[in-house]
Amino acid sequence: MASGIKDKVAIIGMGCTRFGERWEASAEDLMVEAFSEALADAGVERERIDAIWVGNALDDINVGNSSLPAAHALRLGQIPVTRVENMCATGTEALRGATYAVAAGAADIALAIGVEKLKDTGYGGLPLKTKGLLNDLWMPYGSAPGNFAQLAGAYCAKYGVDPADLKRAMAHVSWKSHQNGAKSPKAHLRAAIDMDKILNAPLIADPLGLFDCCGVSDGAAAAIVTTPEIARELGIDNPVTIKAIQLAGSNGSEMQFGEWDGASLINTQIAARRAYAEAGISDPRADLSMTEVHDCFSVTELAVMEDLGLSDPGRAPMDILDGRYDADGAIPCQLDGGLKCFGHPVGASGLRMAYEVYNQLLERAGERQRANVKFGLTHNLGGAPYNNIAAVSILGRKD
Amino acid sequence: MQKACISGIGGYLPLLRLDRKTAARNYAWSGLAMPRKGTRAVADWDEDPVTMAAESARALVATAPAALRFASTSAYFSDRSQAGIVLDYLALPRSVRTTDAANARRAGTSALLDSLLGGADELVTAAEKRVTQAGSAAQLAYGDGAAAVRTGAEGAARLIGHASISHDLVDRYVSRDQPYPYVYEERFIRDIAVAEMFIPAIRAACEAAGIEGSAIAQAACAEPAGGCWRAAAKKLGIAAPNHCERLSDEAGDLGAAHALYGLGLAFAEAKPGDIVLLAGFGSGVDVLLFEVTGAVPGAAAMAAGLAEGRLLGDFLRFLNLSGSVDLDWGMRAEFGLKAQASMMERVGRDITGFIGGRDSHGNVQFPKSAIPVNPAASGPETYEDVRLAEDQARIVSVTADRLTYHPDPPLDYGLVQFDNGARLLMEMVNRPDNGFAVGDRVMMRPRIKSQNRALGFRTYFWKAAPLSRPLLGDN
Repeated sequence: MASGIKDKVAIIGMGCTRFGERWEASAEDLMVEAFSEALADAGVERERIDAIWVGNALDDINVGNSSLPAAHALRLGQIPVTRVENMCATGTEALRGATYAVAAGAADIALAIGVEKLKDTGYGGLPLKTKGLLNDLWMPYGSAPGNFAQLAGAYCAKYGVDPADLKRAMAHVSWKSHQNGAKSPKAHLRAAIDMDKILNAPLIADPLGLFDCCGVSDGAAAAIVTTPEIARELGIDNPVTIKAIQLAGSNGSEMQFGEWDGASLINTQIAARRAYAEAGISDPRADLSMTEVHDCFSVTELAVMEDLGLSDPGRAPMDILDGRYDADGAIPCQLDGGLKCFGHPVGASGLRMAYEVYNQLLERAGERQRANVKFGLTHNLGGAPYNNIAAVSILGRKD
Repeated sequence: MQKACISGIGGYLPLLRLDRKTAARNYAWSGLAMPRKGTRAVADWDEDPVTMAAESARALVATAPAALRFASTSAYFSDRSQAGIVLDYLALPRSVRTTDAANARRAGTSALLDSLLGGADELVTAAEKRVTQAGSAAQLAYGDGAAAVRTGAEGAARLIGHASISHDLVDRYVSRDQPYPYVYEERFIRDIAVAEMFIPAIRAACEAAGIEGSAIAQAACAEPAGGCWRAAAKKLGIAAPNHCERLSDEAGDLGAAHALYGLGLAFAEAKPGDIVLLAGFGSGVDVLLFEVTGAVPGAAAMAAGLAEGRLLGDFLRFLNLSGSVDLDWGMRAEFGLKAQASMMERVGRDITGFIGGRDSHGNVQFPKSAIPVNPAASGPETYEDVRLAEDQARIVSVTADRLTYHPDPPLDYGLVQFDNGARLLMEMVNRPDNGFAVGDRVMMRPRIKSQNRALGFRTYFWKAAPLSRPLLGDN
């Protein structure tokens, strides 16, 4: 394995808009809002930014394709701007690009920004688009809830779990995120919801009910990264640093080859293993203080707890019901409400996750603040269980 | 006469059956007259004459025929050969000659007669999914379905006589400006059809065969109005039951496929030595007489198929499936996939024929890719074709998706695993009462993949379905 980027890059400023139905704001407005907060947080002049990585997954909804919408919005001169897209893992992909540029010495200070303006779609859920001309001829045209709902039946079949027990564990996932979202001022959904309401909600894709699904949101998030040395020059002696960013992508095997049982996320397992190695984490259950995972659906978070190695295989439902991942649990998950409640403007979500970990590490998470946060993990997932990109990052303070 | 035989026969009826009494009850307030007896077969949104013709013929193509004929009055495309699509569905060689027959309900029997008179080994298919107007008697009288016949010099049913009469009797019509059947008075139709067509044609066919009408043991006579067969048979001294009547009662009038499906029912009842009459009607009649020498392959399955199905109790769902109402499905339904001809030219045979590829290490995958998905592969390969259409598979994961737009929600889909190693994400159809579950065995059924109404185009693929169907009596 390559030597990795552990502690080679520091995050010196972050910003995140309020997520939600931002009818009053354009994609441009959202980018400016997130960038302005990050710039103020970093305390650097805008002219010092050498390059931008902008993440936007659904360019046909509002933002527009290429890097130019970001270049126009931020007006940072003719610096290089790169647009990245990796479905719902786009936000972490933007951070990865900016991080690698700094680590490589191609930029002293770089901006990663993710944005999505999904509420201009005209209906809830993700906008519809072609899957490619070949795939359109044979591949089912299911929704995102439909894609991930399939984890549930496969999980029950693999571990002999009663579907009713799984449903209760999934409901707890959502209940917990609503509890947390209520404490996040910038979250899209800020209402705590009782278990009965979650359990009795209308079905969206069997067995996922309405509250098992995250909605989609408008929003943007940004990170300004540099080297620890430059951070020190800027007066930040103990910056938040990137311990690891790892990516794993399906090569088609889950849906075309082999015996994948449909009950797990293979790329998440691979990306997590690589990230732990890169960060030097040998016991994630002991070392991780918190996680922000891609809880697009409650069952996704449940499966991911096992794929990250935080629950034993087949044990996640019990661990969830035991409160292990609650705000006051051993390894809290989604302290900010997660995709479920903070919201899911696709291209921004990976950076929003980093934003919460960053604030927890800097002990400025308000009433959500956990004590002694050492390492926080983000897990950003693009695609479907059978075909996806998993991005895992680990943040901490510079040793 | 050159020896011309039927060597096999097949039929297909969609799973759903609308109970006519239930349906008629929904119209009770209107006072409109419509049939109340029995059931009618109702095609899914993703079934059309092409998919149903392919279904009816799939057991008849162990070897490639010399020609494939397709007959329908409700074919979707008017400048694209349906027979050509059926050919691809059955993965037959492109050297098989294809022809399309249309514009009369008699097209099915006419195609069969032409095939038999040609004496070649051919496959004749007929299928129908006719659009009818809500409130019309035709809406409940018609049914959706298909039939197929394999012809050749050898077979268990030999053509011994035939006669045809062309007669432009406008008992009903459908035109570019009149998309629904416009039907004239039944008594007028019956009188003219019996006197001017059925009786003289049956008499001529019997003369050609050298038999008396009383020798006919089984009949499959497609009638333009109830009572035609009984009137003609009485006049000609024929006591044979008309199996098309039973078909009309239980599945509906299948149009161009009706007489051929009825023929399968007649064959199922026939004993060696029986004479079986086949009569197709529409702008004239075709009458064919067969001598049965043994069990006709496929006939018993057609009789069994008539007894299978699931009662459709929701009348509004029927109206939606039959195109009689145009529901507002919301903005998600605005999205339309556009198929590109160049892409279909590259992969269309594999898609429509459901043909995957076996790589050099023996693994089968669908679709083929430049470099096999098998991790043992290290570079581009050519594949050995492997048809998956007739294989079973096992469900690995599944859901019923109620969010995505679907013309007949929910959309059932999931990952399926074939025994030969192939696995892919597939739509599922013919949902069981308790839904699909991980581990269920499924078979493949030809279905419309996408329908772009704005562009007037549809694409075809296969979908996974339960291995068996319930008996109607068990519903």
